[in-house]
Amino acid sequence: MNISRKRKGKVSIPTASTADIAFLLIVFFMSTTKFDVKEGIKLVLPAMAPDSAEGKAETIQLGEDKMTRLQIQEDGTIILNKEAARHIEDAELDSIIQQKLRENQDMIFRVITDRNAQYKDMIRVVDRLKAQKAEKISLSTN
Amino acid sequence: MAKINRSRDRDIEIPQGSMGDIAFLLLLFFMVTTVFVQEKQFWVDRDRWPQAQSIERIPRNNTATIYVMKNETILLDDVPSKIESEEDVYVKNALIAKKAENPEIVVCFRTDRETKYGAMSDVMRQLQDAETLVVAFEAQQKDQ
Repeated sequence: MNISRKRKGKVSIPTASTADIAFLLIVFFMSTTKFDVKEGIKLVLPAMAPDSAEGKAETIQLGEDKMTRLQIQEDGTIILNKEAARHIEDAELDSIIQQKLRENQDMIFRVITDRNAQYKDMIRVVDRLKAQKAEKISLSTN
Repeated sequence: MAKINRSRDRDIEIPQGSMGDIAFLLLLFFMVTTVFVQEKQFWVDRDRWPQAQSIERIPRNNTATIYVMKNETILLDDVPSKIESEEDVYVKNALIAKKAENPEIVVCFRTDRETKYGAMSDVMRQLQDAETLVVAFEAQQKDQ
Protein backbone atom coordinates (compact mmCIF):
# COMPACT_ATOMS: atom_id res chain seq x y z
CA MET A 1 0.00 0.00 0.00
CA ASN A 2 1.31 3.35 -0.91
CA ILE A 3 1.18 6.16 1.56
CA SER A 4 1.27 9.49 -0.12
CA ARG A 5 3.46 12.02 1.65
CA LYS A 6 2.64 15.62 1.31
CA ARG A 7 5.71 17.67 0.57
CA LYS A 8 4.09 20.84 -0.35
CA GLY A 9 5.64 24.04 0.97
CA LYS A 10 9.04 24.61 2.61
CA VAL A 11 9.57 23.68 6.27
CA SER A 12 11.31 26.43 8.22
CA ILE A 13 11.76 27.46 11.82
CA PRO A 14 10.64 31.04 12.33
CA THR A 15 13.64 33.11 13.40
CA ALA A 16 12.09 36.54 13.36
CA SER A 17 11.73 36.60 17.15
CA THR A 18 15.34 35.61 17.94
CA ALA A 19 16.27 39.26 18.36
CA ASP A 20 13.43 39.77 20.81
CA ILE A 21 14.52 36.77 22.83
CA ALA A 22 18.13 37.96 22.92
CA PHE A 23 17.14 41.48 23.94
CA LEU A 24 14.87 40.09 26.63
CA LEU A 25 17.81 38.11 27.95
CA ILE A 26 19.98 41.24 27.99
CA VAL A 27 17.29 43.23 29.79
CA PHE A 28 16.84 40.41 32.30
CA PHE A 29 20.55 40.29 33.13
CA MET A 30 20.79 44.08 33.23
CA SER A 31 17.95 44.36 35.70
CA THR A 32 19.01 41.48 37.94
CA THR A 33 22.73 42.23 38.10
CA LYS A 34 23.66 43.60 41.49
CA PHE A 35 26.88 45.51 41.67
CA ASP A 36 29.01 45.20 44.75
CA VAL A 37 28.42 48.67 46.22
CA LYS A 38 30.21 49.56 49.40
CA GLU A 39 27.90 50.68 52.16
CA GLY A 40 28.95 51.22 55.70
CA ILE A 41 29.66 53.50 58.60
CA LYS A 42 32.46 55.89 57.77
CA LEU A 43 34.85 57.11 60.45
CA VAL A 44 38.13 58.95 60.55
CA LEU A 45 40.60 57.50 63.02
CA PRO A 46 42.77 59.87 65.02
CA ALA A 47 46.35 60.19 63.88
CA MET A 48 49.01 58.52 65.98
CA ALA A 49 50.78 60.92 68.32
CA PRO A 50 54.50 61.11 67.46
CA ASP A 51 55.55 59.68 70.81
CA SER A 52 52.60 57.48 71.49
CA ALA A 53 54.25 55.19 73.93
CA GLU A 54 51.83 53.37 76.21
CA GLY A 55 49.76 55.77 78.23
CA LYS A 56 51.47 58.92 77.03
CA ALA A 57 48.66 59.82 74.67
CA GLU A 58 46.20 60.20 77.55
CA THR A 59 47.64 63.28 79.12
CA ILE A 60 44.62 65.52 78.79
CA GLN A 61 41.91 64.96 81.37
CA LEU A 62 38.43 65.79 80.16
CA GLY A 63 35.47 66.11 82.46
CA GLU A 64 32.05 64.55 81.91
CA ASP A 65 30.84 67.84 80.50
CA LYS A 66 33.20 67.46 77.56
CA MET A 67 33.55 63.72 77.15
CA THR A 68 31.17 60.81 77.56
CA ARG A 69 32.60 57.35 78.12
CA LEU A 70 30.70 54.42 76.68
CA GLN A 71 32.45 51.31 77.83
CA ILE A 72 31.24 48.13 76.14
CA GLN A 73 31.75 45.01 78.22
CA GLU A 74 32.37 41.47 77.04
CA ASP A 75 28.68 40.54 77.49
CA GLY A 76 27.42 43.55 75.55
CA THR A 77 26.47 45.61 78.59
CA ILE A 78 27.48 49.26 78.57
CA ILE A 79 29.04 51.34 81.33
CA LEU A 80 27.97 54.93 80.78
CA ASN A 81 30.52 57.21 82.41
CA LYS A 82 30.67 55.89 85.97
CA GLU A 83 27.31 54.17 86.13
CA ALA A 84 26.92 50.43 86.65
CA ALA A 85 27.09 48.16 83.62
CA ARG A 86 23.68 47.43 82.11
CA HIS A 87 21.98 46.57 78.85
CA ILE A 88 20.94 49.75 77.07
CA GLU A 89 18.39 49.42 74.28
CA ASP A 90 18.67 51.44 71.06
CA ALA A 91 15.90 53.89 71.96
CA GLU A 92 17.39 54.64 75.37
CA LEU A 93 20.86 54.99 73.90
CA ASP A 94 19.46 57.49 71.39
CA SER A 95 17.90 59.61 74.12
CA ILE A 96 21.10 59.53 76.22
CA ILE A 97 23.15 60.68 73.22
CA GLN A 98 20.63 63.40 72.37
CA GLN A 99 20.71 64.65 75.93
CA LYS A 100 24.51 64.70 75.98
CA LEU A 101 24.58 66.62 72.69
CA ARG A 102 22.08 69.12 74.06
CA GLU A 103 24.34 69.65 77.05
CA ASN A 104 27.35 70.16 74.82
CA GLN A 105 27.23 70.34 71.03
CA ASP A 106 30.90 69.35 70.80
CA MET A 107 30.63 66.40 73.16
CA ILE A 108 33.31 63.78 72.58
CA PHE A 109 32.04 60.21 72.76
CA ARG A 110 34.72 57.76 73.74
CA VAL A 111 33.71 54.22 72.87
CA ILE A 112 35.87 51.81 74.81
CA THR A 113 35.26 48.25 73.72
CA ASP A 114 36.51 45.23 75.60
CA ARG A 115 38.88 43.06 73.54
CA ASN A 116 36.55 40.10 74.04
CA ALA A 117 33.37 42.00 73.23
CA GLN A 118 31.69 41.32 69.93
CA TYR A 119 32.25 43.60 66.96
CA LYS A 120 28.50 44.06 66.43
CA ASP A 121 28.14 45.62 69.88
CA MET A 122 30.68 48.29 68.97
CA ILE A 123 28.96 48.87 65.62
CA ARG A 124 25.59 49.23 67.38
CA VAL A 125 26.90 52.01 69.61
CA VAL A 126 28.76 53.80 66.79
CA ASP A 127 25.66 53.50 64.61
CA ARG A 128 23.50 55.13 67.30
CA LEU A 129 26.08 57.92 67.68
CA LYS A 130 26.15 58.50 63.92
CA ALA A 131 22.36 58.40 63.72
CA GLN A 132 22.16 61.16 66.33
CA LYS A 133 24.72 63.21 64.38
CA ALA A 134 27.47 62.95 66.97
CA GLU A 135 30.66 63.95 65.21
CA LYS A 136 33.40 63.43 67.72
CA ILE A 137 33.70 59.72 68.19
CA SER A 138 36.80 58.01 69.45
CA LEU A 139 37.37 54.25 69.44
CA SER A 140 39.61 52.50 71.86
CA THR A 141 39.96 49.27 73.75
CA ASN A 142 41.03 48.24 77.20
CA MET B 1 10.46 70.96 -18.86
CA ALA B 2 11.90 67.52 -18.71
CA LYS B 3 10.17 65.04 -16.45
CA ILE B 4 12.24 62.93 -14.19
CA ASN B 5 10.92 59.47 -13.84
CA ARG B 6 11.06 58.13 -10.37
CA SER B 7 10.91 54.43 -10.18
CA ARG B 8 8.71 53.48 -7.26
CA ASP B 9 8.12 49.96 -8.10
CA ARG B 10 10.23 48.54 -5.23
CA ASP B 11 9.64 48.74 -1.50
CA ILE B 12 12.58 50.08 0.49
CA GLU B 13 13.39 47.92 3.53
CA ILE B 14 16.09 47.88 6.11
CA PRO B 15 17.23 44.30 6.49
CA GLN B 16 16.49 43.06 9.99
CA GLY B 17 17.58 39.50 9.61
CA SER B 18 20.84 40.03 11.46
CA MET B 19 19.28 41.78 14.46
CA GLY B 20 19.30 38.54 16.43
CA ASP B 21 22.96 38.02 15.69
CA ILE B 22 23.77 41.54 16.88
CA ALA B 23 21.85 41.07 20.10
CA PHE B 24 23.53 37.74 20.80
CA LEU B 25 26.91 39.28 20.06
CA LEU B 26 26.16 41.98 22.64
CA LEU B 27 25.13 39.33 25.13
CA LEU B 28 28.31 37.35 24.46
CA PHE B 29 30.43 40.49 24.78
CA PHE B 30 29.04 41.26 28.24
CA MET B 31 29.33 37.63 29.30
CA VAL B 32 32.98 37.48 28.24
CA THR B 33 34.04 40.82 29.73
CA THR B 34 32.25 40.51 33.09
CA VAL B 35 34.72 39.79 35.85
CA PHE B 36 33.35 38.34 39.05
CA VAL B 37 35.03 38.96 42.36
CA GLN B 38 36.50 35.68 43.43
CA GLU B 39 36.99 35.23 47.09
CA LYS B 40 36.01 31.73 47.91
CA GLN B 41 36.93 30.47 51.34
CA PHE B 42 37.52 33.91 52.84
CA TRP B 43 34.24 35.46 51.95
CA VAL B 44 32.43 37.08 54.85
CA ASP B 45 28.85 36.63 53.77
CA ARG B 46 26.58 39.61 53.71
CA ASP B 47 24.28 38.09 56.29
CA ARG B 48 27.25 37.84 58.67
CA TRP B 49 27.82 41.60 58.62
CA PRO B 50 26.53 43.70 61.50
CA GLN B 51 23.37 45.71 61.01
CA ALA B 52 23.27 49.47 61.13
CA GLN B 53 20.93 52.31 60.32
CA SER B 54 23.14 55.27 59.49
CA ILE B 55 25.09 53.76 56.63
CA GLU B 56 26.44 55.73 53.72
CA ARG B 57 27.60 54.81 50.24
CA ILE B 58 31.30 54.75 49.65
CA PRO B 59 32.82 55.29 46.20
CA ARG B 60 34.32 51.96 45.25
CA ASN B 61 37.31 53.21 43.32
CA ASN B 62 39.19 54.50 46.36
CA THR B 63 38.66 51.55 48.63
CA ALA B 64 40.73 48.70 49.97
CA THR B 65 38.81 45.93 51.66
CA ILE B 66 40.02 44.11 54.73
CA TYR B 67 38.16 40.96 55.70
CA VAL B 68 38.23 39.99 59.33
CA MET B 69 36.82 36.56 60.00
CA LYS B 70 35.39 35.16 63.19
CA ASN B 71 38.59 33.17 63.78
CA GLU B 72 40.50 36.50 63.61
CA THR B 73 42.10 35.74 60.25
CA ILE B 74 42.66 38.96 58.34
CA LEU B 75 42.52 39.01 54.57
CA LEU B 76 43.94 41.86 52.54
CA ASP B 77 44.62 41.51 48.80
CA ASP B 78 43.80 37.80 48.99
CA VAL B 79 46.64 37.26 51.46
CA PRO B 80 45.52 35.80 54.78
CA SER B 81 47.37 36.87 57.90
CA LYS B 82 46.97 37.05 61.65
CA ILE B 83 48.16 39.67 64.09
CA GLU B 84 49.57 37.78 67.04
CA SER B 85 52.56 39.89 67.93
CA GLU B 86 54.17 43.24 67.23
CA GLU B 87 56.14 41.69 64.36
CA ASP B 88 53.06 40.81 62.32
CA VAL B 89 53.03 43.96 60.22
CA TYR B 90 51.79 42.65 56.87
CA VAL B 91 48.66 44.84 57.02
CA LYS B 92 50.64 47.93 57.91
CA ASN B 93 53.16 47.45 55.10
CA ALA B 94 50.49 46.67 52.53
CA LEU B 95 48.54 49.78 53.52
CA ILE B 96 51.61 52.01 53.41
CA ALA B 97 52.08 50.88 49.78
CA LYS B 98 48.42 51.50 49.00
CA LYS B 99 48.49 54.92 50.63
CA ALA B 100 51.51 55.86 48.51
CA GLU B 101 49.60 54.83 45.39
CA ASN B 102 46.35 56.55 46.36
CA PRO B 103 46.47 59.08 49.21
CA GLU B 104 42.65 59.20 49.42
CA ILE B 105 42.24 55.53 50.17
CA VAL B 106 39.34 54.40 52.35
CA VAL B 107 39.82 51.13 54.18
CA CYS B 108 36.61 49.12 54.31
CA PHE B 109 36.13 46.46 56.93
CA ARG B 110 34.07 43.42 56.09
CA THR B 111 33.97 41.84 59.45
CA ASP B 112 31.96 38.97 60.82
CA ARG B 113 29.63 40.46 63.40
CA GLU B 114 30.71 38.01 66.08
CA THR B 115 34.42 38.70 65.74
CA LYS B 116 36.07 39.73 68.97
CA TYR B 117 36.85 43.43 69.01
CA GLY B 118 40.49 42.77 69.95
CA ALA B 119 41.28 41.62 66.41
CA MET B 120 39.71 44.79 64.98
CA SER B 121 41.59 46.92 67.46
CA ASP B 122 44.91 45.37 66.38
CA VAL B 123 44.15 46.05 62.72
CA MET B 124 43.12 49.63 63.43
CA ARG B 125 46.35 50.20 65.32
CA GLN B 126 48.25 49.16 62.18
CA LEU B 127 46.04 51.47 60.11
CA GLN B 128 47.07 54.35 62.33
CA ASP B 129 50.71 53.34 61.95
CA ALA B 130 50.26 53.36 58.17
CA GLU B 131 48.41 56.70 58.41
CA THR B 132 45.40 55.36 56.54
CA LEU B 133 42.88 56.98 58.80
CA VAL B 134 39.64 56.98 56.86
CA VAL B 135 37.80 53.75 57.54
CA ALA B 136 34.36 52.36 56.85
CA PHE B 137 32.68 49.50 58.64
CA GLU B 138 30.51 47.72 56.14
CA ALA B 139 27.06 46.91 57.44
CA GLN B 140 23.67 45.79 56.29
CA GLN B 141 20.85 48.28 56.31
CA LYS B 142 18.74 47.74 59.40
CA ASP B 143 14.98 48.13 59.14
CA GLN B 144 13.68 51.22 60.84
